[in-house]
Amino acid sequence: MIDVALASLIEDMIEKAGAEGVVEFWQRVGDNLAGRMGKEAYLGWTSFNVAVRESRTAFSIEGEVTPLTDMAITDIDGDVVGYLYAMRQCCYVPTIFRTRFAVGRMSPADQAVTNEYNENVHNIAVCNFCVFHERFREEIAKNVTIAGNPLACLLLATRGWSGETKISSKNVVQVNINEDHVRALLRNYECVYALVLRGARIKGER
Amino acid sequence: MPAEARIQESNPFVEIATHLFLEDLAGKVGVAGLNNYLVSLAKNLATAMPREEYASWSEFLGALRDGQSILSTFEEVRPVTERCMTSMRSPFERGWREYAKRVGSFAPVHREVAEYYNHKVRPTAVTSVHIVLHTFREAAAARIRIGEEAVRYEPVASAWVDGTTQLPEGAKLESLLKRAGISRTKLGMLLRNHSDVWLLEPF
Repeated sequence: MIDVALASLIEDMIEKAGAEGVVEFWQRVGDNLAGRMGKEAYLGWTSFNVAVRESRTAFSIEGEVTPLTDMAITDIDGDVVGYLYAMRQCCYVPTIFRTRFAVGRMSPADQAVTNEYNENVHNIAVCNFCVFHERFREEIAKNVTIAGNPLACLLLATRGWSGETKISSKNVVQVNINEDHVRALLRNYECVYALVLRGARIKGER
Repeated sequence: MPAEARIQESNPFVEIATHLFLEDLAGKVGVAGLNNYLVSLAKNLATAMPREEYASWSEFLGALRDGQSILSTFEEVRPVTERCMTSMRSPFERGWREYAKRVGSFAPVHREVAEYYNHKVRPTAVTSVHIVLHTFREAAAARIRIGEEAVRYEPVASAWVDGTTQLPEGAKLESLLKRAGISRTKLGMLLRNHSDVWLLEPF
């Protein structure tokens, strides 16, 4: 119920601080939650990917995450420095449907925050929760090390509940993945991101 | 009808994020300010939902039981008597469990705001979510008409997931039990197996 009520809270906050204020607020909440999750260390990508599959990592708080181990990201020496990860369902989609059945329609506050974020921060959001979610993952990644190296998270693509898709051109270029590959993943997944070793020199980075 | 069949479950991550959102908000506006936000969001939620009308009290109880009423949208409600209702499980339990598992113990501000509410409004909140729940039920009940009569909500007792209970004392409790048509012993039995006990009556 608190998830459905969240939209009412955001409406209230937009009146007081504007959509821009809500974006800042959500980002700070992402920082705070990540800060409370603690650090994690893994010997290598294999152990990390097993932990993701078994829902043992901080990333698992979001729900079921699939490591796409056939989509490795390599550096200029050909070493694996990252992978793609995906969620079949966006965390916020159940709330959108719950709102539909409880209230009737989603609050316009959701779209206002989404638009604000897309126009001024990163054109990747399909709902207001993406604002919090992207920052949360970025911060969590800093607290996870693989073979002693911290990670960086890059949100690549999202698909909203009504089918609209967003692909982050700047992040796709950074991990040297073809946009068509990412678009194909959106048929099966609603949120696709990359985890790479921070500072890695990625092969073919454009 | 089980709750799952009526409305799909939320992803608990959204609930966790909302709790963090409220904690951050409390840092800005204090406990009294957070209480105001919680009351306001619950009222806004109820106001956004459609009004209801029933021909008789028994029709209304049937709708409650079947999950068709605004009051049973988010929780499974079982009438114990004509006026006394129980919630099988708190709609916040999954979020709380996930928060405890992934993040740690709840921030103290959730209890502090409940104490503020108990002192200022009525002594029936264990934690912040009860402020939302009580306010929502009260505002939702006000949107229901049974014949020509309105419906009034009043909480009798709340039991939180960790076993903590909160209920009024003395004459206030006796009055509520009498109107609900249950004994003190029956209340204890209900609190053992249910999350909340509450009163609905026409006025």
